[in-house]
Amino acid sequence: MTFLLIFVKISKMSLIKPQVKLEKTFFLADLVILIFILGSFWALIEIAKRWGAPVQPVVEISLNPWALPKYALFSLSRGFVAYFLSLIFTIIYGYVAAYNQWAEKIMIPLLDILQSIPVLAFLPGLVISLISIFPHWNIGLELACILMIFTGQVWNMTFSFYSSLKSIPQDLIDTAKVWKFGRLEKLLRLELPYASTGLIWNSMMSMAGGWFFLTVCEAFVLGNKDFRLLGIGSYMSVAIEQGNIPAMFYAILAMILLITGIDRLLWRPLVVWSQKFKFEETKSIVTSNSFMLDLFQESKIVSLIVDYLNKKMLIKIKKILSQSKVNRKRVTSLSKICRLAILILITFFVFSGVIRLFSLLSQISFVSWFSVLGRGSLTLLRTLSALFLGSLWAIPAGVVIGMNPRLSKIFQPIAQIAASFPAPMIYPLVMVAMSYFGIGLQFGAVILMMLGTQWYILFNTIAGATTIPTDLIEVGEIYHLKKIKFWRRIIFPTIFPYLVTGWITAMGGAWNASIVAEYIQFKGRMISATGLGSLITLSTAKGDFPLLAGSVLVMALIVVLLNRFIWKRLYLVARTKYALI
Amino acid sequence: MENLNKNNNIIAELRNVFHHFPQPLGQSLKVVENFNLQVKTGEVLSLLGPSGSGKSTILRILAGLIKPTEGEVLSYGQPLSEINPQASIVFQKFALFPWLTVQENIAVGFEGKNIDPVTQKEITSKVIDKIGLDGFEEAYPRELSGGMKQRVGIARALVSDTELLCLDEPFSELDLLTAIHLRDEVLNLWLAHEKNPKSIFLVTHNIEEVVYLANRIVILTPLPARIHTIIENNIPYPRDYRSGVFMEMVEKIQDIVTSVVIPEKPAVEVKAELLKVPFRVDVIPRAEVTEIIGLLEALNDNQGRLDIFDFAGEVGKDFGRIALLVKAAELLDFIDSLKHEIIFTDLGKKFVSSNINERKIILNKQLQNLGLIKIFIEMLKKRPEMKLPREVIIDELILLLPTENPDRIFRTLVSWGRYAELFGYNPKEKIIYLDKIF
Repeated sequence: MTFLLIFVKISKMSLIKPQVKLEKTFFLADLVILIFILGSFWALIEIAKRWGAPVQPVVEISLNPWALPKYALFSLSRGFVAYFLSLIFTIIYGYVAAYNQWAEKIMIPLLDILQSIPVLAFLPGLVISLISIFPHWNIGLELACILMIFTGQVWNMTFSFYSSLKSIPQDLIDTAKVWKFGRLEKLLRLELPYASTGLIWNSMMSMAGGWFFLTVCEAFVLGNKDFRLLGIGSYMSVAIEQGNIPAMFYAILAMILLITGIDRLLWRPLVVWSQKFKFEETKSIVTSNSFMLDLFQESKIVSLIVDYLNKKMLIKIKKILSQSKVNRKRVTSLSKICRLAILILITFFVFSGVIRLFSLLSQISFVSWFSVLGRGSLTLLRTLSALFLGSLWAIPAGVVIGMNPRLSKIFQPIAQIAASFPAPMIYPLVMVAMSYFGIGLQFGAVILMMLGTQWYILFNTIAGATTIPTDLIEVGEIYHLKKIKFWRRIIFPTIFPYLVTGWITAMGGAWNASIVAEYIQFKGRMISATGLGSLITLSTAKGDFPLLAGSVLVMALIVVLLNRFIWKRLYLVARTKYALI
Repeated sequence: MENLNKNNNIIAELRNVFHHFPQPLGQSLKVVENFNLQVKTGEVLSLLGPSGSGKSTILRILAGLIKPTEGEVLSYGQPLSEINPQASIVFQKFALFPWLTVQENIAVGFEGKNIDPVTQKEITSKVIDKIGLDGFEEAYPRELSGGMKQRVGIARALVSDTELLCLDEPFSELDLLTAIHLRDEVLNLWLAHEKNPKSIFLVTHNIEEVVYLANRIVILTPLPARIHTIIENNIPYPRDYRSGVFMEMVEKIQDIVTSVVIPEKPAVEVKAELLKVPFRVDVIPRAEVTEIIGLLEALNDNQGRLDIFDFAGEVGKDFGRIALLVKAAELLDFIDSLKHEIIFTDLGKKFVSSNINERKIILNKQLQNLGLIKIFIEMLKKRPEMKLPREVIIDELILLLPTENPDRIFRTLVSWGRYAELFGYNPKEKIIYLDKIF
């Protein structure tokens, strides 16, 4: 049940914005925000260009299987650093957005857009700019990798935290006020515990999704420039390059072990522990238990550490905070000046980026625009096909599994691993398999995109199917409803809202995937399919910045447009017409 | 705020307090009006009113949780700038932290005070003992019954050792027996108190509770809340529910409450343009036709005479709710009310002995007599297909009854209209149309 709920929860949490109604935010605002984001990104690139031509750091990737544990460790640490960054960002961003009305109005729509934009589109540009800033070490690359993973992990966590904060029962907030909880107290004793269930589910999902970006970044090659980092992803790519089958096998095994390990040793105990924060009035039967958690809780060392942290550290922090209360007034006025200064700096930064962006865009010839748009529609066609093909098998499978608890239990752990496994790692293999059937990359890219994103559809369908009320099923049976009618009247309306969330997430994933699916390593060389994803990668390789800017803009625009005009509408229909009250 | 004049025996005071809440459609809902009240040391002061009458808001204003739109809140003569430092609250829905044990929840009451852990433990043990939570220290709230949870709430308020103990409908979520028991315990705590609390501020809708506990009873009007009457209750403690003086006091208060909640003339005089003559537009109470019929049938079963308070107690509903049914039945001319008893009108007798179709016809005719419905029938008749979009009705309702929630009234209208087959409503297209006029 656990993993199924993840997809539903994060998708729902990331798409239900409690305070922002569909009618209130205008599309124009979205457009403006989009331009600003791209503008600031562009400013970053400009800085990068000033620092000189990119230097190529060369990495020696060994195919020795005994090197794998070390590489796995590297990959793991990247994932975790990115995760902790996401966590800090989540708490700060969510906190500010929840408690500051003005900030909220900007921050939540901003989050929405950031979430929709295909993050990988920025990868090529980000990599070269960061390399330019740090030419001598791998730091630039590592930073790019971590940043990429971060942007893949953070948005749904932030939405979850924000919506948890906004839904704390008023009575508990009043209690905190009456008994004069300080800010820190409130955060640690009310807000974080209350938000912990959502945060933990979303963290699981984020980490799982993070593998995708991690392996892509680690194996990043641009034309003849090698930007690879030591890790499982790059190990795999070298193995594929050299056609070393045992090495490929080891890499896949290592990945699976890594995913399973983290699930059992980290997430499972956390989930069980977070049961105690569930806001329920009556006792529910706790079905999940964790061996690791039991071990953890019974360990003396652990309880000693926890005690120390609780008492000593907390008291120290409180002392520091209470001492600083005295200077509060001075601090607040100083911080106001600081805030203003930062705001001015950021605005200047962004504005200059926007101006540059427009000047760049103006350099694109009409013909090129035509090509960009043409490629955009091709990729759009591909993503839609991926969605369609994925749905073809995922929906029936999902319904069957969801309606049968025994099947769910068997299927769940397998699906969990399959879904976390980063599909790009095996793209070249899949491509080889497809070429035996004569399928080229132009069509094959659809399959590749589908590989990563079909799980969203599957899991959401399963989740939806489990909510079909048994009494409706019984009605169908008693009145001998024919299969088709059964589907139309009972199954489809119930799963429709979940389907929509599944589609939205899958679509987003497909766009991300297009960057790597349309441009892959095949039998020792790089091949590409005509599309927007490949255009982004290719234009970065050629150093054609105007074209890169144009492509990224168009891709982001398409996704935002789709989001606002199709998905949100569908979602509204789902909520009003098909909601099971 | 350190040098409070503690010789002043007015612990808390509300002066000229007004409060309103902004509504989604732009109007504002007046909740508290012209409120002046003093809480003196040594007393148990109680606010009595039906649910939704603003009394919880008043409690929160007193405690400093809400800043009133107008007026002052004073603590020992000094205006409040933030939370009232003298107050602690026991909440209606317990407000316990689900992830803390009983012991830890109670310890929340020590927050912000510099009491060392050893003393904290002592005080907590004493209170746990006094309130009957012995043995439950390590339990989590979800393992506790409602009564136990509220004990934790009370314990938490007690350990914070404040001078003013505020209770916000503390027993309304509990079953009757537990409520009576806990009420008793609170009384015992009060009678045995040494230093703190110096006063209790109790908010409730239960008349027996108020007569049992309070020595000053403030009866509120329905929204916006104003002070209607203040009654001194000098029956010596401990009080006996069955004693003559107790029941007299209850009766007295019941009469006052009925006259407050079901006033003689509930109407709004309005000049409705369509009909060119000013006439009465009554607010349609929030009551389902099935509920009204239920009331009438109960009246019938009771040989045509029913005490509203007894009935409320029997069906386990809050008096305010029953009062709404009574208002609705009176509006439709099915019953008459005398203080807190109701009897049939002739029409009512006829209604209750008719079959379902006859009842529809009677209801249909009665509805046509209501001012509000008359207006809408005229509006509908003027339209080509006798249809009106929902928005038009809502706008008209906002004009006619600006202090009411138009959505709520619309829903009740539709519900009554559908039953009487007077109106029909298509929720997909949001169109209301005229059906049958008998």
